[in-house]
Amino acid sequence: MPRRVPLARRQLLQDRRRAVLAVAGVAAALVLVLVLNGVFAGATRQVTAYIDTSPADVFVAQAGVRTMHMSITALPDDTVARVRSVDGVAWAEPLRYTTGVVTKGDRSIITYVFGYDTQAGVAGPRELSSGSAPGAGEAVVDESAASELAIGVGDTVEILGTPLRVSGLSVNGTNIVNTTVFLDTEQFTALRGPGTNYVLAGARAGVGADELASRIAAAVPDATVQTRAAFSDQESRIVRDMATDIMSIMTIIGFLIALAVVALTLFTSTLAKLRDFGVVKALGGTNPRLAKDVVAQAIWTIALAAATAFVLSLGLGAALAALTPNIRIVIEPVSVARTAAGALVIGLIAAAIPLRRVVRIDPASVFRSAQ
Amino acid sequence: MTMTAIIDPRTASAASITVRGLNKTYGEGDLAVHAVRDIDLDIKAGEVVLVMGPSGSGKTTLLLMLGAMLRPTSGAVTIDGIDLAAAPERLLPKLRARHLGFVFQDFNLLGALNAVENVEIACNLAGVVGNAAHERSRALLERVGLGQRLRFRPDQLSGGEKQRVSVARALANDPAVILADEPTANLDSSHGHDIARLLRHLATDDGRSVVIVSHDERLKEIADRVLWLEDGGFRELSNMATDPICGMSVTADPNTTLHAHRDGQTWWFCSTACRNEFTSRDPEAAADVPHETSGEPDPPHDERTAR
Repeated sequence: MPRRVPLARRQLLQDRRRAVLAVAGVAAALVLVLVLNGVFAGATRQVTAYIDTSPADVFVAQAGVRTMHMSITALPDDTVARVRSVDGVAWAEPLRYTTGVVTKGDRSIITYVFGYDTQAGVAGPRELSSGSAPGAGEAVVDESAASELAIGVGDTVEILGTPLRVSGLSVNGTNIVNTTVFLDTEQFTALRGPGTNYVLAGARAGVGADELASRIAAAVPDATVQTRAAFSDQESRIVRDMATDIMSIMTIIGFLIALAVVALTLFTSTLAKLRDFGVVKALGGTNPRLAKDVVAQAIWTIALAAATAFVLSLGLGAALAALTPNIRIVIEPVSVARTAAGALVIGLIAAAIPLRRVVRIDPASVFRSAQ
Repeated sequence: MTMTAIIDPRTASAASITVRGLNKTYGEGDLAVHAVRDIDLDIKAGEVVLVMGPSGSGKTTLLLMLGAMLRPTSGAVTIDGIDLAAAPERLLPKLRARHLGFVFQDFNLLGALNAVENVEIACNLAGVVGNAAHERSRALLERVGLGQRLRFRPDQLSGGEKQRVSVARALANDPAVILADEPTANLDSSHGHDIARLLRHLATDDGRSVVIVSHDERLKEIADRVLWLEDGGFRELSNMATDPICGMSVTADPNTTLHAHRDGQTWWFCSTACRNEFTSRDPEAAADVPHETSGEPDPPHDERTAR
């Protein structure tokens, strides 16, 4: 496409201070939106970290129970055996689960408490940063929570009202809402009595997760059977549902700030350049041509601000992660795309007000002396 | 004597601007103001026409109608064979972009663009884009002597240089007609003279019609014709004279204009104050007073303007 004089860009950058302030203002608003979404995405990933990193292909729960968060599930004792007998199941392990508080002195953190067979290990923590799997009278605590509680391997914490020695520290088990601790099955049973809350099952080679879930569902009709992906999705959905209202409000506030900044900047800069627009009109510029200039200025402002906001969000995410390990900011491409698209709409709305002024300029006005 | 038809029959057929029965009235009924009354005018290619007249005489209104920026109440304005008055509103920007060049009193350069871009944008509006527009703009700026100032922004240029950029911009679309509104008003004597000569060259060398609206008497030197516009209509210039005190053009009509005789010559004045100043310098001068309306003398012209 042949080059034309980039009037919009030149006008935008003519007053660099104004341009920088406008871009910074919009970028700040978009950072707010991106970081909020990032915190939310990070929290969701942390909440589902146990499920996502589990080697299990299928999760079995009490009928109607589709999540861990805010759920109570109890399965008949023979459920593990029934699942193991299903064709295509490579392994099946029971998981004990409850919610509680892990306490050290006057500090306490809400926690998921898992009880698992330490010999099989498949339902336990994926990775230990130090120490070993729990035995009798012991627990594995997540390293972030340990840091918060100022404890280490060998220290004693109170879990479900019982003092337990910390045998090891796990990773990626703490999120903005709670942490996770792991006990062996016997210890869990000693604290909460016998039972099975979930059953985790792995597929034999060549059997897909969906296929395995269908087979188990047929064999254990009185339970809810989900693949790992479906279980994780349900878990993140419940978090999403809980946070949607506040997220929506904060996102709208962020976009409104961006709208106000872009609109104000465009309006003042257009007012300052009304005579220039009048000159272009006098020279033969049409209203659509001038409208294109105003809209292009809005788009340039938004594009620069979005790029700045993206970089700032990544930096802020890294800084926050270093300062507060419990808060993880994940800037997802879909979030960036959504924010950029929203900002673009904001820019177009913001351009509408100055556009009305530009369209109304009488080209004859430039024949009157400005002095 | 009021003249509504300024047509030279020798050039009418070759005219690049033809105006017939042009009227512009603002308001209606008792509040109607007739800014331009029944004007006929032919301007041929290569001709420089200077339109002068007192403030409020209709000069700018006439220029705006010639420039397709104001719809006449009645009449026709034909440029390059196109009747601007009859053209649909949506076509007027395109007509301005392709057929007319404008030079403004305040230069009206776009502050965000450098000299060459100020010209190039006019090329773009005329439909010339890319390298062709850039090269044309550069050549035009070189023609007006600004080859070394291509990348300078308006705030880095002197008044004379700005007006030369403005002239180059007016040439961007290679127009048959250039309309200049007080092109020397914001320039000192030397730069004003340069711009006047430049406009003369555009007519003589390129065969363009140049219409200048101005109060600047110096522009008479480069004009082929000087038209005096007063009360919306042209007056015969042979009936015009210059007040020897303030320099203002006045009608040389013994029935309506203050005048005095000295050394066998008649002098014409815009006001009693100018005439009194003139006669006070030479008590021998005999003053004729055609219409004294008040015993109190008018203030000097400069003072009246300042008010």
